[in-house]
Amino acid sequence: MNQTTLEIKNMTKNYKSETVLNELSFQLQQGEILSIVGPSGSGKTTLLRVLAGLEEPTNGSIFMYGEEITKQKANKRDISLVFQQPLLFPHMTVMENIVYGAKISKKYKKEKTDALLTAIGMGKYQDHFPSEISGGQQQRTALARAMATEPEVILFDEPFSSLDPSLRQDLRYWVRNFLVKQKTTAIFVTHDMEEAMIMGDKIAVFTEGQFQQIGKAKTLQESPANLLVASFMGGNLILSEEEYISLQEITLSPPTDRKADRIYEATLLHVTYQHARPIAHLHIHSLDEKVSLPLQHEDELQENVTIYIPDSEVRRFHEEGR
Amino acid sequence: MKLFRNKILLLPAFVFLALPFYGFMTAIVQSLGNEEPLSHYWDLLDSDRFLASIAFSIRTAGIATILSIAIGLLLIRSFYKILVQLSPRLRVWIPMLFPHFVWGYMVILLLGESGIFSQIAVVSGWMESQADFPIWTRDRYGIGIIITYVWKEVPLVILLLLPVYSSIRPEYYALVDTLGGNGWNRFTTVELPHLLPVLVESFLIIFSFSLTAYEVPALIGTTFPEMISVLGYEWFYGSSWDDRPLAFASMVSISIFLLILTIIGYTFLNRTRLKAMRGGK
Repeated sequence: MNQTTLEIKNMTKNYKSETVLNELSFQLQQGEILSIVGPSGSGKTTLLRVLAGLEEPTNGSIFMYGEEITKQKANKRDISLVFQQPLLFPHMTVMENIVYGAKISKKYKKEKTDALLTAIGMGKYQDHFPSEISGGQQQRTALARAMATEPEVILFDEPFSSLDPSLRQDLRYWVRNFLVKQKTTAIFVTHDMEEAMIMGDKIAVFTEGQFQQIGKAKTLQESPANLLVASFMGGNLILSEEEYISLQEITLSPPTDRKADRIYEATLLHVTYQHARPIAHLHIHSLDEKVSLPLQHEDELQENVTIYIPDSEVRRFHEEGR
Repeated sequence: MKLFRNKILLLPAFVFLALPFYGFMTAIVQSLGNEEPLSHYWDLLDSDRFLASIAFSIRTAGIATILSIAIGLLLIRSFYKILVQLSPRLRVWIPMLFPHFVWGYMVILLLGESGIFSQIAVVSGWMESQADFPIWTRDRYGIGIIITYVWKEVPLVILLLLPVYSSIRPEYYALVDTLGGNGWNRFTTVELPHLLPVLVESFLIIFSFSLTAYEVPALIGTTFPEMISVLGYEWFYGSSWDDRPLAFASMVSISIFLLILTIIGYTFLNRTRLKAMRGGK
């Protein structure tokens, strides 16, 4: 059985009267990667800063391998942080940046930094300065520098947000494989659900200073704990505070095989194309909700459409899933 | 070169630079004299007065410059978050509004043997008489000159370093912390590479000025050893016309010395590592 590397108990962080982290508790097993996903400004970065020791929690405790580290300073913790920007030291070469991380944490071994350089595929660029390499290469170097300190836990604060989409996609898989191969315990913060699903073994939906639900992507998709999770996951139409339906079950014409118990009028806002299929973006008046429905045929499109919902497919939120 | 395509735009700058250039060339011609070339330069090397003056000048200007930079750096490091606000920043820069001569006079009023501080020391009973007050003006160690320059130049150092500190991204400090670094690592890795170009340029500006400026050492310095600018003035306006070429030779020597120092400084700043800081190689 895997050992618990990091444990957070009842952690709260207040800024004046505002509560940014509200009684958070969770555990991370050795080698586990947890994705934390939430909207911008929800306090994800604050959570990472508290875990890294850059800020003190107002209340609560942090344990690493059973030992309390809540009061430990950032430079004494075995936790590394990879920032949104690579933040390479501009006057140091790629190799010097990596070696700096190892030396400063007093864990320098030439073989190890050489291996890291090879692992990130930057051997050819080891004598280049950050201004001479691409954004993706910079972020890989930043990761190697963080890894060179041999941290027990590595935290990622939206490290790909400044990269262009194609590079971001490549780097996601690369980092994920790298962490798995190195058996590194990691927390990966993002506002992008797709990225969270690719990067994490588990996903924690974080809004309003709390984890709304922690689980596998499939669990979150099929059994969202509440409407916040359901709306963040996407692919659902929220019908009320207790009910939702998967978009797959909604039709734009009366279903032939079952009874459509609920009928809503909607306005077509826009049509886009995804994976070669037309997507209709609709506004449902009575629910004041916007949904994006994949269409079978483009000729289904009209300015005003009727959507059909079978009662048998309407689901209720699983609060016990939190 | 792209810069020279619009030559007409550079004309005012060239005209402006032509004046000191003409002065410098004239000084070189005058320093060479009509006799054996470089004879006045050899005379300088044989002059104890000149050698004592140049040693005293470099020492005094060097100490004043290093102290100004060190104190300015310490102040900006400690208070840059306050100094980004207008009101505290203006208060720090007040000494810059006064001419050096005025500031030198103020130092005499404050720190002279019969100055305000000595009077306070006697009245408060710290000293029996004003004669016990240390000699800090017109002294042979140049203390008065150093105090005047430090007081005047510290605000300049703060002015030059403030934009550097404002431009350093705070995330870099957090990064060094999470990598396991301490305060010293923060300074050497994050701040120093940003500061170096400005520190080198500040040193060159303050050192060149305090080495060659006349008014403060004339007002607050002693007669021996005197700063090189005072000696040059005396040689130039002295009773003997024979000394005038020595004044030119000494000033030309100082200019060449400062030119070499500037070339060394900029060669250092042009190293690949520091160029990479500015985004190039």
